[in-house]
Amino acid sequence: MWMALSYACWGISIVLALWMLYDWFKVDTTFSEEVLTSSREGELEAVSEKHRI
Amino acid sequence: MSRYTPPEQNKAGQIFDIVVVVVAIFVALWLPLKMGLAGAAKSIDALDAKTWEALGQNPTMASIWEKLGYTPETAHDIIQNRFHYVIDWPTLIIMAAVLIGYFVFLFRASDREYRDVINEKFDDK
Amino acid sequence: MTITLEPTVHGDRVSLLRVLGPAHVWALGVGIVLVGEFTGWNFAADKGGALAALIVCWVVGLLYTSVAMIDSEVTSTVAAAGGQYAQAKHIVGPLMAFNVALFLVFAYTMLEVSDAILLGDTIVAKAGVEGLTHNSFIAATIVVLAWLNYRGVLMTLNVNFVITAIAYISIVVLFFSVSPWTQGAVLKLNELVTPDNALPYGWIGVIAAFQFGIWYYLGIEGTTQAAEEVRSPARSLPYGTMAGMITLLIAAAMTWYVCASMMPWEYLGITYYPLWDAGKLTGSPLLENLLFIATLLAALASANGCINDAARAWFSLGRDRYLPTWFSAVHPKYRTPYRSILFLLPIALAFAFIADLNQAITFSILSGVLQYTFMSINIVMFRKKWPLGSIRRGYTHPFHPLPAIVLFCLCVVTFFAIFLGFGSQLIAMVAFYFLISLWFHFYRYKFVRRGDQFTMPWPKPQGY
Repeated sequence: MWMALSYACWGISIVLALWMLYDWFKVDTTFSEEVLTSSREGELEAVSEKHRI
Repeated sequence: MSRYTPPEQNKAGQIFDIVVVVVAIFVALWLPLKMGLAGAAKSIDALDAKTWEALGQNPTMASIWEKLGYTPETAHDIIQNRFHYVIDWPTLIIMAAVLIGYFVFLFRASDREYRDVINEKFDDK
Repeated sequence: MTITLEPTVHGDRVSLLRVLGPAHVWALGVGIVLVGEFTGWNFAADKGGALAALIVCWVVGLLYTSVAMIDSEVTSTVAAAGGQYAQAKHIVGPLMAFNVALFLVFAYTMLEVSDAILLGDTIVAKAGVEGLTHNSFIAATIVVLAWLNYRGVLMTLNVNFVITAIAYISIVVLFFSVSPWTQGAVLKLNELVTPDNALPYGWIGVIAAFQFGIWYYLGIEGTTQAAEEVRSPARSLPYGTMAGMITLLIAAAMTWYVCASMMPWEYLGITYYPLWDAGKLTGSPLLENLLFIATLLAALASANGCINDAARAWFSLGRDRYLPTWFSAVHPKYRTPYRSILFLLPIALAFAFIADLNQAITFSILSGVLQYTFMSINIVMFRKKWPLGSIRRGYTHPFHPLPAIVLFCLCVVTFFAIFLGFGSQLIAMVAFYFLISLWFHFYRYKFVRRGDQFTMPWPKPQGY
């Protein structure tokens, strides 16, 4: 059982790692670098405080 | 004071900088391990008589060791593996000098950079 | 409470998401630290005996109470991702900030590595199967948690809250099920800790034990990393951090009392699973399994928080161009510093496969203590440059400058403790920080915009 668990762990690691690589590639090709790196320290209130509670 | 405009760094330069940092991290963490510098000064003070009494364990302690699956023979290397604290003055002095030197450099160089930041931030308005 | 998220890209800006409350701050702080009760603190017993472990539990507790108070004041005022990094940048200067960010990334990444190794080793020890190695479990821990972090901070810290709470409750359950009010039945403190063996190395052992005493609480200051994602940082950060500190002091005291009353100090000093062993020694399979699971959960919670914190520190470095701006990307959908998370993942994996638990812990402690030394000086400079009343502080810590002095003195003692065991490693690490500082000061800093680094809406500091 433990051996099976060990193989399952390898499997999950590979699948999730591949998914992250895929998503990274997708995001980087879909959005421009200016948009992705547009976060600025201290300017957060204006942009992200739009959710209602 | 005029505003400082930094040069644009090209892609290759950026990648090179990342490589420098990563290599530095690995060297700093690896070198002590590879040179065998890591780890504390511990050594076994061997005893001839391997009984719980000789190892300084009272009956309560002995019963716990046994519950954990140890015999006096197997526990001997654990119990007698002791630290030997010796203050090596040259190393201590080097360490203190390195640490103090590092922090002094940090604060002085930071302050020089900080004055630029403050000048540009508050005088440009 | 309903949170309706705006479309993911607001015009041309993508930023981190403000969704966290005080409970998440608590979960981030305590989550990172609690694993220290399940392994690590007990090495203090190895260095100085059972009583030394208790003494450092309280004295180092004092150190961290100072850390928490100082940190709460500064961070409730400088609320930005990167935590102490942003503090250093505004108060001391860019080079200091660069170093502090590296301390953070090192401390958290190595702590994450320790957690993953602990988790892998615990499972292997439990299984007792020939040929089973810890590598697959280490890989799964690091990758799954990185994935969770990648997908969003709210879920990450909700998970952390639940698993931290379970791990904490298990310590409380263990404490009460060994009838702590009667010595002699299960607990045998007076027979295990005797006048002869309480301090086997004398007082120098107590000082040496400081090194691992740090492990009772290391990482509580990580709460500040969430500053850009907390809904009201000025209130939530001090509150979550202080609540976390109180929680940890209680857990540390309970852990010591149970473990020192159940195991001889020589064994306590070398085991990797003091609480799990305590569970085993009660003879109750239920408690044994509970503590086994709690050990795994504590390690998971800690690694999870560490990925969160290290990635934010690295992200901030990119945002200020201290490192290539490429790292400062925010995921447009999940709103996480996804490139930093991905970049640090293979580094953590590599060290988890090659280092052993003790070494990883030592690296983490070294970076932590360097950072606390900075904090003690930082708060004095903060009060001097912006005296009380000159800016709005979310929280003002009492008895200034006493906490700063206490913190500084305890840091000096801890450096001496590290010298007693790991002096060469300390010199090697400081040499590294020194060289990389030269690199930054004389080369890398030319790519940094000067005035833009100062982002707080404060008046000009006094003396400049």
